[in-house]
Amino acid sequence: MRNVQIILNAILSKNIFEYILVDRKLHVISASQGVRKYVNAMPKEGDDVLEYLPELVGNEEEIKQIFVEKYCLYTLESVYKNNDYVNISVEYCDQNTAIILLHNITAITRAQQNLLQYSNESTLLYNTLQKVVDSQNTMLFVTNAEKIEFANKKFLNFFHAENIEEIQKKELKLYQKLDASLQNYRELFVSLKEGEKYLKLGKDIFIVQATQIEAAHTLFTLTKITDFPHEMQLDPLTGLYRKDYLNEMVEKSLQEKRNFALVVMDLDNFKQINDTYGHLTGDKVLKAFVMLLKQHIRKTDLLVRWGGDEFLLFLEDGSPENAILKIENIRKLIDEYHFETIDHLSCSFGLSYTKENDSVDSLLQRADKALYEAKIKGKNKVLFKEE
Amino acid sequence: MIRKKILMLGDFAVGKTSLVRHYIDNTFDDVYLTTIGVKVSKKMLAVNHVELELLIWDIEGETPSKKIPKAYFKGASGAIIVCDASRKETVEGIREHIGDLLAFNREAKYVIAYNKSDLLSAQQKETLSLSENTFLTSAKDGSQIDILFTTLAKEILL
Ligand SMILES: Nc1nc2c(ncn2[C@@H]2O[C@H](COP(=O)(O)OP(=O)(O)O)[C@@H](O)[C@H]2O)c(=O)[nH]1
Ligand SMILES: [Mg+2]
Repeated sequence: MRNVQIILNAILSKNIFEYILVDRKLHVISASQGVRKYVNAMPKEGDDVLEYLPELVGNEEEIKQIFVEKYCLYTLESVYKNNDYVNISVEYCDQNTAIILLHNITAITRAQQNLLQYSNESTLLYNTLQKVVDSQNTMLFVTNAEKIEFANKKFLNFFHAENIEEIQKKELKLYQKLDASLQNYRELFVSLKEGEKYLKLGKDIFIVQATQIEAAHTLFTLTKITDFPHEMQLDPLTGLYRKDYLNEMVEKSLQEKRNFALVVMDLDNFKQINDTYGHLTGDKVLKAFVMLLKQHIRKTDLLVRWGGDEFLLFLEDGSPENAILKIENIRKLIDEYHFETIDHLSCSFGLSYTKENDSVDSLLQRADKALYEAKIKGKNKVLFKEE
Repeated sequence: MIRKKILMLGDFAVGKTSLVRHYIDNTFDDVYLTTIGVKVSKKMLAVNHVELELLIWDIEGETPSKKIPKAYFKGASGAIIVCDASRKETVEGIREHIGDLLAFNREAKYVIAYNKSDLLSAQQKETLSLSENTFLTSAKDGSQIDILFTTLAKEILL
């Protein structure tokens, strides 16, 4: 008993616990001195304890039950009392007395409050930012390790999704719509580094751009182009533009009197590849060919697909000799490249270079003739036609 | 004297603490200080010549990761359900708070506060269709706060 008293005094002297003793009517019998700081006054004998602890109002019956069941306990946690936080508990002492313990938990509660404040403020900021991005006219989404983790309202609406989970279920592979040779969003991001791309979704065309936000997060934006010059079509297999886009570029460059080369290329014996290995392999070869070429041309060059295995290349270059040299390098590159399944592939090239009074047609005609010659002279060649 | 316990219920940061503060002290603070645990405030009022002491429980707001402890619901005669009229997600939370209250005490009375009305444009206010016992309050300019509390007090004494 003496030990218990020593322990009790020690606890009380640290101001961690204070107590009020009450009778069966919940009237004060006595209280420890420190109670004053929580309730602003010293409870006197006979006072209604609810005056000091209004937190207990509404629970009187439950508390009185302590006198009946004896071992039962009433507790109320994290109650703010005059700048402190206390846990209030009521326990049975003897048949006429219950003890109300006030356990000071201010230190830990303040720490919890800081955390909660931080978390709540973050949530509010997040909600605000969400509203900001939702108010944007651009569709946007963020990927993390190939998963679309975030998207704004515009994007959700476009894909008829209520929330991000529904988008995730759809497993949208937008990169494939953009360029069939792309395997994932990572590759899309890499390919967008070379410049923005166009994506056709339904009737609309979007400019696609990407930004790395953090190591893990990539932001993709899709901005709708409202007045596009003409119905632009991307080749779904290779993701290349089609010939009409090149026509436009060539015409514009002719008008501006710029010098450039036009190259027509045709894969050698492509029909045989298709017949021997099947069209799926044929498609793969086309994709690999395009990838290879893209790696060796500049941003300002334009490669387009012109039907089956024919491609056109627009090369802005100072002289025909320069252009020939470049194309010769590309020819070699392809000749020496190990393609999957078929291993070897070659390509023939016909080149023309701008001169006075040229038109798209005259340039194409000369390049085409050069290609024809390259073919009959044994393929895997680069030929240039001056006249 | 009659004492009645009422709860302030709602998502965090909708203005529960601010409404109580304005009702009791007539003051307002722009700074957001997260409430933790519970703080009980007393307010004496006379309703139809009956003296009543309201014990207003301002409690930690509900967050997506933390529900309001049910121990706080014990012995409550009613509640003021608060939402932030400028934040849709908190308005959508009202139903759940009412459900929680009535699940605990089917007899409990409640009134609803669409708070932060000072942030709404006249047009936005018009488009709100407020049901009975719903008030467009503002802890900033004080509008509809007294009637909010007295309506609940009357309901409880009925
Ligand atoms: N403009 C405006 N701000 C308010 C109003 N009520 C509360 N606030 C602000 O909203 C934030 C959260 O208020 P608080 O009372 O702590 O919300 P609680 O978490 O529900 O208790 C604080 O920054 C308050 O200043 C109001 O009626 N109008
Ligand atoms: Mg609060």
